[in-house]
Amino acid sequence: MPYGGELMRLLIVEDDPKLAEFVARGLRAERYAVDLAADGREGQNCINSYEYDLLILDLMLPFISGSELLLRVRQSHPSLPVLVLTARDAIEEKVRHFEAGADDYLTKPFDFAELVVRVKALLRRTPIERTDVLLFSDLELNRLTREVRRGDRRIELTGKEYALLEYLLSSPCRVFSRTMILEHVWDQSFEGVTNIVDVYVRHLRRKVDDNFSVKLIHTVRGVGYCVREPESFAGPGMA
Amino acid sequence: MNHRSLAFRLAVWYTLLMSAAFALVGTGIFYGLTQYVRSSLGDSLRRRSVQVEQILAQAPRDVTDAAIAESINTRIAPDFNNRFVRVTRAPAALVYVSTAPADHSFDPRGVAYFGSIWPLKSLTRSAVTAQGQALILSTTPLATASGRYLIELGTSLEPIETLQQRLLLLLGLLLPALVICASGGGYMLVNWALRPVDRMSQTAAHMSLRNLEARLPVLPTGDALERLSLSLNQLLARLRDSLQASRRFLADASHELRTPLTIIKGELQEIVGKQALPGEVGERFGSVLEEVARLEHLVAGLLVLSRLDAGEVQGDWAELDLAKVTLSTAEQMRLMAEDRGIQIETASLAPMLIRGNPARLKQVIVNLLDNAIRFTPRGGTVTLRSSQSSLYSVLEVRDTGIGIPASSLPNVFERFFRVDEARSREDGGAGLGLSIAKSICLAHGAQIHVDSEVGKGSCFYLLFPRLPKSVIQGAAQAIRGELLMDRDTDVTPITLRN
Repeated sequence: MPYGGELMRLLIVEDDPKLAEFVARGLRAERYAVDLAADGREGQNCINSYEYDLLILDLMLPFISGSELLLRVRQSHPSLPVLVLTARDAIEEKVRHFEAGADDYLTKPFDFAELVVRVKALLRRTPIERTDVLLFSDLELNRLTREVRRGDRRIELTGKEYALLEYLLSSPCRVFSRTMILEHVWDQSFEGVTNIVDVYVRHLRRKVDDNFSVKLIHTVRGVGYCVREPESFAGPGMA
Repeated sequence: MNHRSLAFRLAVWYTLLMSAAFALVGTGIFYGLTQYVRSSLGDSLRRRSVQVEQILAQAPRDVTDAAIAESINTRIAPDFNNRFVRVTRAPAALVYVSTAPADHSFDPRGVAYFGSIWPLKSLTRSAVTAQGQALILSTTPLATASGRYLIELGTSLEPIETLQQRLLLLLGLLLPALVICASGGGYMLVNWALRPVDRMSQTAAHMSLRNLEARLPVLPTGDALERLSLSLNQLLARLRDSLQASRRFLADASHELRTPLTIIKGELQEIVGKQALPGEVGERFGSVLEEVARLEHLVAGLLVLSRLDAGEVQGDWAELDLAKVTLSTAEQMRLMAEDRGIQIETASLAPMLIRGNPARLKQVIVNLLDNAIRFTPRGGTVTLRSSQSSLYSVLEVRDTGIGIPASSLPNVFERFFRVDEARSREDGGAGLGLSIAKSICLAHGAQIHVDSEVGKGSCFYLLFPRLPKSVIQGAAQAIRGELLMDRDTDVTPITLRN
């Protein structure tokens, strides 16, 4: 139970049963209670019948479209956070849905890890207290001084390398996909640029890991990168 | 004037026909009028002649020539009326000849005699005096108690000749003037008739694949022109429909692929992330996931293209310094280039103010740089340079890479086109980067060109029109239309090196 000991209840309104099932399974593993609705009408019924902490809404739905449902929910449940899932990612549309009351927006195909990050952020009622020092094993990153140390040795990083390490350290043991890294550390323009992330990770690794016997930055082939202890592989990799 | 133009040729034909018609009418008028005047003159002569006949018929058998002469002088007064009168008695005795007329238009004594064989009935003939004066004569044979007479009554032909001359002069002046008017009018008329066609072609010229909603003006003329405009409009509608269908298909396909991709990626990532897979299996899963990532990029690229096809330039346009965007992008990619032993040279980037969508334009730069880095061997250089010509702000991305064979140059901006199948696929390029770059440029009214030499390198040029702000939008429309007309063939290699 992630926050405050109470069980968070989520509703996923998604017409693709496999995708719904997959997201639900992953979120249940994160210890959320998850309900599924396959279309807009069913979603409406669920919302009217239960108290939810978060609504995950696909926009392309039968009977009542996601956009329509979003408008209704905003009227009936103004404080219910809504995370919109869609295959459309035009920026104007993004703006339109934010205006219509979506709290966040995720474009398919998304990384499940990214979904979890967004869900957690939306469920956090109080603003997260930003830790000034990120610490993992003997690696330490100070957000105030922008200083990075490993053990007693200071590591000099370029701006991008620092941003990359900060992002990886923000959630140790989680595997960050290249797409997630690109979107957070660079911007969407670099999507598709073959190996920019790999190049930077390689440089970062040279500075952070090369002179140490314990390697902290790891590659998960086909998925991405994570910061973890070498033997902690069997741990909760995804989130 | 265009000598092959329909208007010109029609006008020429029209002029020829009109000239022929006018010539015919002119000749007709000339001869008709002459004939009419002549015959009416003949008639009036004949009436006088009848008077002479009466005098002779009523004369007694032994009448003297003097009496006849007096009667004629009294009744007809030829000299006063400018008439010629001569009466001859058979076989050849001159009974009477009039004196010189008051206007001296002829000399009565100079008129030749008819000859020895007289006509059996009256006739009208022309005669010329010894002095060359032309006359018209009505010649009538008459048999009376006092003998057989030949009565000749005539008058000068001069008025008719004057009339003919005047008529010729008039026709000679009038006909060319009429022909000139007719040909000018004909030319204008044809042009006027063709003007709707002109309007149609103008409308058509302003159309582009993004602007197929416009329709040609339809003239309610009920003829070939109306049918032409209607069928062209139907063609346009069909073109739009099929284009829309293919765009919708592209958009839908890339849409529909996204949900299954999410599931595949999610499930695989979960397996790879959560379970320690034995080495080889892990490798295989990783390999599959890499392919999924490529598929993902491909789908994203297709979606971007389908958006750009639909004429959607996202977000707000702003005035921006493209050199600045280029520089910051280059900085972000510098490490990646250096990793491959490639220098990025940015010293020649001068401010380059244009209007556009910053995120989209950045994507163009990223794609071009990525391309340049990918195809440049270790030790090479990628040079970024901006320059200004009178018409364009130009951005160059020049590499010292492997180059593009001339035969492939026209195709490099085509979707999924690869110069070298094996090489680029192994590098992970989807084959969409350049066509996305081109689509974005088109949406900004800019042009993209490539110049390349195998083994020496390639240079991509982005040409942004240098125009006042207000004009840029319009120009974008026009250029877009123009380029879309021949979207796959306009990669004319140009040289802009200064």
